[in-house]
Amino acid sequence: MEIFAQSVVSGVLTGSLYAMIAIGLTIVFGVMRIINLAHGEMVMLGMFGAYWSYTLLGIDPFLSVVIWAPAMFAGGMLIHRFLLKDVIPKGELNTLLYTAGLSLLLANLALFFFTGDYRTLNLPYALMPARPFGIAVPIPLAIAFVMAIAITLGLYLLLSRTDVGRAIRATAQNPQSAALMGVNVLRIDMITFGLGTALAAAAGVLLVPSLYLYPTVGEILIVKCFVIVVLGGLGSVPGAIAGGILLGLVESLGAVYISVAYKDTIGFVLFLLVLLFRPSGLFGVGRS
Amino acid sequence: MKRLLTVAGIAFLLVAPLLTNNAFFQHLMIMVLFWTLLGASWNLLGGFAGQVSFGHATFLGIGAYTTMLFYLSLHWSPWLGMLAGGVLGALLALPIGLICFRLRGPYFSLATLAVAEIVRLVALNWEQLTAGPVGLLITTLPQVSIADHAINWESKIPFYYLAAGLTLFAIGLTYAVSRSRLGAYLTAVREDIDSAEATGIDTVRARVIALVLSAFVVGLAGGFYALYFRYIDPDAVFAISLSVEMVFIAVVGGLATTAGPIVGAIVLVTISEIFRDRFAAGHLIFYGLFMMLVIRYLPEGIWGQLRFLLSLERRR
Repeated sequence: MEIFAQSVVSGVLTGSLYAMIAIGLTIVFGVMRIINLAHGEMVMLGMFGAYWSYTLLGIDPFLSVVIWAPAMFAGGMLIHRFLLKDVIPKGELNTLLYTAGLSLLLANLALFFFTGDYRTLNLPYALMPARPFGIAVPIPLAIAFVMAIAITLGLYLLLSRTDVGRAIRATAQNPQSAALMGVNVLRIDMITFGLGTALAAAAGVLLVPSLYLYPTVGEILIVKCFVIVVLGGLGSVPGAIAGGILLGLVESLGAVYISVAYKDTIGFVLFLLVLLFRPSGLFGVGRS
Repeated sequence: MKRLLTVAGIAFLLVAPLLTNNAFFQHLMIMVLFWTLLGASWNLLGGFAGQVSFGHATFLGIGAYTTMLFYLSLHWSPWLGMLAGGVLGALLALPIGLICFRLRGPYFSLATLAVAEIVRLVALNWEQLTAGPVGLLITTLPQVSIADHAINWESKIPFYYLAAGLTLFAIGLTYAVSRSRLGAYLTAVREDIDSAEATGIDTVRARVIALVLSAFVVGLAGGFYALYFRYIDPDAVFAISLSVEMVFIAVVGGLATTAGPIVGAIVLVTISEIFRDRFAAGHLIFYGLFMMLVIRYLPEGIWGQLRFLLSLERRR
């Protein structure tokens, strides 16, 4: 029973960060109808940003998220403005391949500049896990969990209460009508891409104390991200949250009760099954 | 003009190894052929039918492991093993195709990625069969004689001709398919799948056949990989990056063209082999960059653009 509770806790904690990455991917898909294969590299850039600001300047990663999320928001807007904007009208598959190229470019530039070493970031207060009710809770993961909830809430407020948020939701529903109502769709696309990138990078910053860091880490994360958004329904934010937590749980419970070696395989099998039988997601909210 | 280019190309292919003794150039030529082979077989499905697969490394890995395992444990001739690798790859492609072709566009691509990852993880963890991450190693290849001359496997020349033969086969196959009824079906699927179905084309069948053909050739290529490098492990032959590189070769060269993958492989592999010496994975920077430039400025690929400039074909 204790083992079960333990794996549920760690599944939910990791799942919340997966969810945050997936929300970024899913809002970009919702608004622009593109699958950004370079999304994992945005997480990687956030991780490296936090790593370097900690090792060189001594800034705690949970503080440096305040630097890196806005920086990557601007970076994402620039990527959209100068790289993606003219490619998106060329069609879904061309954009998919284009972002595959971008992903390879970013990952290997990082490999070139930072080398392929596995790095870890050890925070002094993170050596021992907290043990409420006899369940070990890694402190950095717990802080990251709380901050992920705060950021997601912030995003929810942005989307539901502000003019920009309304414009984003309108564009996701129907770009033509949104444009007719006076929404500058290109500007909204740019802001949405910036938001997606910032979410990915922020998740990367929060993950750094708990995960190995290396330039090609994005490859694994993006694949997990696909599993999540397909589970929850592509384009749906609540679906991405539920899918993220679900994948976190499946991985941690699968590792304990089925097999450590095959824990990633379980996620993929689930992914294929959902893709085949419920392409609009487990909750039926996405668009296929 | 087209015929002339083809004849000149084949003639060059035959005499090329006589022009140099430099091991690096020989290796470079073999790699260009190998990637042309992969790009051309990927193009059968990805280019002609517009079904972008991110999972073709699966068939490469199956071919490589089949060849290795049949040789190491059953002592089959590696040539037979290579053929078996192609056949097994094609057989595996049947269920994969029947599952994944229920999905369209980017969803199909994601599904192939998932299948490829499942196969890679199984190969990594099924240690009784594959020896897992340790990998498999061939130390000596069997004696083969052609007209009483024993083939020297330490030299690269026999591998060159083997690769050249396979590549010619793959390109011939793409050409034949592009000229056939199947090719017309595949183009119809690419251009508008709903209209294709409305005209009575069994699109699933057409796509599955294209995938099976493609998987067969990639399986053969996997066997070649095993024999040439003599060492394989799951992360070398089942890697996502291999699948992605195949896609890039075909796209950079020109989707749905017979000669595109040749051009793509010459450009990308030459760059990559030259830079591999300087910095390990640095060549992939150029792969990414080329991919972005080509999609942005030459959506028909380098060859797709060149053939208009050479006016081999009238502009559509």
